Amino acid sequence: MKPISKSVPKIDHCAKTRGLAEYVCDYDATGMLYGRILRSKHAKADVLSINLPAMPEGYDFIDHRRIPGLNRVHIVQDDTPVFAERTVEYIGDPIGIIVGPEEREVDRLLACIEVEYDILTPEFDARKSPVAFFEYGYEKGDIAIAFAHADRIYEESFETGRQEQMYLETNGMIAEYAQGKMLVHGTMQCPYYVHTAVAEATGLLPEDVIIAQDVTGGGFGGKEDYPSVLACQAAVAAYVTGKPVRVVLSRREDVEFTSKRHPAFCDIKAAVKDGRVTAMQIEAVYDAGAYTTMTPVVLQRGVIAGGGVYSIENLKVKGEARKTNTVPSGAFRGFGGPQMFFAVEMMMSHIAKDLGEDPLDFKLAHTAKLGDATSTSGMHHFNVPLPAMMDEVAQACDYRRKKEAYADQQGRLRKGIAMSAVYHGAGFTGIGERDIIKAVVRLRKDKDGYAEILVANTDIGQGLSTAFTKIVAQELGLPFDRVIIKLPDTGRVPNSGPTVASRSVMVVGELLRRAAARLKDEWLDGEEQVIEERYVHPDFMITFDIDKFQGDAYPTFSWAATAVEVEVDTFTGDIRILGAWGSYDIGTPIDENIAVGQMEGGLVQSLGYGMMESIAAVNGRIRNNSFSDYLIPTAVDFPAVDVSLHVEEYPEGPYGAKGAGELPLVGGAPATIEAIENAIGVKLSKTPFLPEDVVKALY
Amino acid sequence: MVGSERLPDAQSNQPASGSVTAGSLDEALKLRKENPGLIPYAGGTDLMIEGRADAAYLFLGKVPEMKRIAQDDEFIRFGAACTFSQLICSAHTPGILRDACLQIAAPAIRNMGSIGGNIGNGSPKADSALIFMATNSMLRLVSADSERILPIRKFYLGRKKLDLAPDELIVEVLMPIHGIDNYYYKKVGGRRALAISRVAFAGIMDVRDGIICNCAAAFGSIGDVIVCLDEIDRMLVGKSVEEASALKEAYIDAYNMAIVPVAGRVSADYRKQVCMNLLRDFLESNHI
Repeated sequence: MKPISKSVPKIDHCAKTRGLAEYVCDYDATGMLYGRILRSKHAKADVLSINLPAMPEGYDFIDHRRIPGLNRVHIVQDDTPVFAERTVEYIGDPIGIIVGPEEREVDRLLACIEVEYDILTPEFDARKSPVAFFEYGYEKGDIAIAFAHADRIYEESFETGRQEQMYLETNGMIAEYAQGKMLVHGTMQCPYYVHTAVAEATGLLPEDVIIAQDVTGGGFGGKEDYPSVLACQAAVAAYVTGKPVRVVLSRREDVEFTSKRHPAFCDIKAAVKDGRVTAMQIEAVYDAGAYTTMTPVVLQRGVIAGGGVYSIENLKVKGEARKTNTVPSGAFRGFGGPQMFFAVEMMMSHIAKDLGEDPLDFKLAHTAKLGDATSTSGMHHFNVPLPAMMDEVAQACDYRRKKEAYADQQGRLRKGIAMSAVYHGAGFTGIGERDIIKAVVRLRKDKDGYAEILVANTDIGQGLSTAFTKIVAQELGLPFDRVIIKLPDTGRVPNSGPTVASRSVMVVGELLRRAAARLKDEWLDGEEQVIEERYVHPDFMITFDIDKFQGDAYPTFSWAATAVEVEVDTFTGDIRILGAWGSYDIGTPIDENIAVGQMEGGLVQSLGYGMMESIAAVNGRIRNNSFSDYLIPTAVDFPAVDVSLHVEEYPEGPYGAKGAGELPLVGGAPATIEAIENAIGVKLSKTPFLPEDVVKALY
Repeated sequence: MVGSERLPDAQSNQPASGSVTAGSLDEALKLRKENPGLIPYAGGTDLMIEGRADAAYLFLGKVPEMKRIAQDDEFIRFGAACTFSQLICSAHTPGILRDACLQIAAPAIRNMGSIGGNIGNGSPKADSALIFMATNSMLRLVSADSERILPIRKFYLGRKKLDLAPDELIVEVLMPIHGIDNYYYKKVGGRRALAISRVAFAGIMDVRDGIICNCAAAFGSIGDVIVCLDEIDRMLVGKSVEEASALKEAYIDAYNMAIVPVAGRVSADYRKQVCMNLLRDFLESNHI
């Protein structure tokens, strides 16, 4: 490990463990109005009338007619309304906001509002939906020839479920409008996303809108797009009433009505010649929900992952995102990747088994290598360390011995083990960093020699403020307490881009490192200095063409090999995780403890995606909307996960670091499902796989 | 010891004023009689979630008579305000009950939640109530004017309906000492901690000198109430293990007819299959 990797206490540790950190719901609400959202009770309907109860003085109901700017929440596109105008598109679609000084009275009034609907026919099945929001695809080689010459052709369909982020802190915003200026602060990942959205919805000039992040209790992608929606609603209410408005969602509201991971369906047809896969044809359908929100970008990442970590010479991938009348699907750690990797990993294992080869050996024989073409005909510019990582994991979990021991089991309790290999493309897809984000960072040194980091990236619990502080302190040769980092506020920090896409350390961290190096060179004692750095696109990249999906989708990849061992109770369907092992290449860890913690947490979240976490949306209604009904793993469920870091340094990242945050969520589910499959001897094709599914498969 | 006192009053989302703490059983019974609207509780782990703003409560967690665990020749007597943690730590607690208590929720809830609440809540998913049903335990129900001992199997009249008068309190649970050492217990939850039972099964097989003296099966989380069917269990009572083996399929068939689970967090079919699997395993693990 490099010196930078040596672990330090997180800089926000004391404030959080002592309860001093101020989250949005901790602000003194004196003089504020409480806001509650009126939501559609139907999955698709026209709102005919809204009948309000007698409103006491100081209480108000605001719907789309009183929005000062445009009735749209700018995310990637502009189809999400701040408040529905006529047609509501999912159960929970916001119709208006009721505000007032007493929270209970606001609740009472909300319950008294009568909405008259003309109920329309909703669509819940993405496979049947006639509305395709987005369609992407690409081809390499010639699949027709490959299928014509194949020894064997395999076809399978896979399904992945809807997963909830379950950050501990629910979404919440406070908006204040005074003297022509709008301040919105709350829990969020991307202050500048919120900034653009609020300016449009309020009609205010960008310079009159300030967005500030409060201490944020987890995000996992769930606070990438949704805070823009809530901020617009709170800002509109603050604008109309002239009073500060506070909207903090209850847990049930947050689970039911904020974004989730896209459920997906994936059909794969594969050609095998001489025992090796020569072609894959992949068709995926992602369930976008009612509005587009993050879907185009999620689908792009999913489609690019076609073919997984393997060099498949002939590849044809098509992905569609279809509209359904359910809560919009959005960003969630892994961002379209877990769905596609699940299908590809299961497919590879199934083909291997049919050919009589161990899936691990079969996968190793197909793994991409340095210099190989990527799925989108870009190039693997850097070493692909997967063979070594898979071997490390195989040793750590005793894969080969257990695999043999667990063949042909009888009896009540049966064990299984399996390994997956995945990547996560680091940073924004394609030329997004160069053409859309164009990150800017600043370092300001004051007269006393303190350096302040000015970036829009947010610490949401993942340790980013510690990582940035370490990078700048190391480069400047200053102790930590001479480096300042505050919660970002768009009035003070430049737009260094959103805190998403596993980009913050790799892209923004590197800009900060360069800024710090320059500051050190140009250091003048006793003077204030400001150093600015702007994003520079790596020159080795084959420019990505987003229309054709050709070129380098990512400058580099983070890699993971994940093994899971399970024991299945064939009487009850109970699935016990006996062990989970992960080797992760995130380049140089900027802090070893933080990195390992992030890998462990992500691995556990991916095991949840495999065998526990399931949002049941029945006719568009999410019923398991609480911690007792939406089950996530506890410490008792996964007592030990064995995580190791395998470092392949990325020369363009700070000290060799690359993307970290999302990677560990990608590989757990396919390893879990294949382990269950190996235990019970039944071919499986969906995640999550729950005890009930086990019993259904066996009896 | 704290006497009758008013609990801290009412900010907006605090319970309505009128909640009281009882310092002794007599006082608790008097308060119960005078204020039948009070909701009795000892731990509050279920009630806290409801967070009812309009409710007033009778706190029993400081009633000494309800915190005791004692034993006589026939019964272990658990005070209804005893917590699960108290039971887990007590040398009097039989294995089947300890096993069940160890799988309730998580340590913090086990430290607060009481068996009286678990029973009185009326849930078919109550983990300790299942054990008291399987072991044919008795409830000591007391009011200011009366006292009765009722088998717990007669206590549940229907969905959340209890044979409990408005002035009565569950004061003690009387669990038989003898004949419950040979047990079978399985809780099926969605995860390994903080899990609400999706199916729970408890069985008792008391075999003496090769003759089955008692056979009892109890099924939790499958319907409105915990299911115990004495008329089916009696098929095997008085039989030798060999005779019981001959009756095994008839016994299982009888349960197969009788068990009609409802769908909830899991499907009815899943519950049914798990019940039957566990029932069969219960017999087979007893060489039947």
